Amino acid sequence: MSKLKISGRLLKKRTRKSGFTAAKRCRFSCGELPESAIDYKNVDLLKSFLTERGKILPSRISGNAAYYQRAVSREIRKARTMALLPYSQNY
Amino acid sequence: MMRYEVLFLAVPTITSDEATTIETQCAALIKSHKAFLISFERWGKYYLAFQVRKNDYGVYFLVRFEVEDKDKQPLLEALKTFFAVKYNELVMRFVVTALGENGALEYHRPESLDSAPSREYNNSYNRESSDEASLDLE
Repeated sequence: MSKLKISGRLLKKRTRKSGFTAAKRCRFSCGELPESAIDYKNVDLLKSFLTERGKILPSRISGNAAYYQRAVSREIRKARTMALLPYSQNY
Repeated sequence: MMRYEVLFLAVPTITSDEATTIETQCAALIKSHKAFLISFERWGKYYLAFQVRKNDYGVYFLVRFEVEDKDKQPLLEALKTFFAVKYNELVMRFVVTALGENGALEYHRPESLDSAPSREYNNSYNRESSDEASLDLE
């Protein structure tokens, strides 16, 4: 039998369409969180935009709109200056 | 009138007298530049995300004030000198943030070690595992 050939990009697209993962959305744009919540003192919220390693999550994963992604990363950098958040988490 | 805030991180060994001195001198400095001190809050002791000047812990203070646009530049520079030079030994880090005109004063403060409840050991895992072990034996 001949093997069905499919490109990697198409395969990814199909799995994304058929997957049961929740739709990606910006929590600030859809009104779930106010813009004022993006604050360097609000460490609990900012932690949700960090990886386990302490790096800033890219917007393609967090779903943030570009404007809010810039604001979040700016506040994370400010919190890092004040030692409220880590620059990197060592294992 | 512009609202500003300064969050500064002091050494963990700071005494209440030293904190009071900083507060009074900071208030005097702000007043001398025709500004209005809104609040001076002591957040408490925190476990830092990383070591600062070889300290694992630090004490945070939040100062908020209002200033006219024409007086803001000399005041901000004076505050910079105040924290970075005069109190260099007590203040490890500080950040000045503009809250904007009539900016909101509500904020979310992270929980400090002073206010956090004492950590209790959760032995549920050990208990469950011992139960499983006993079940297996049966």
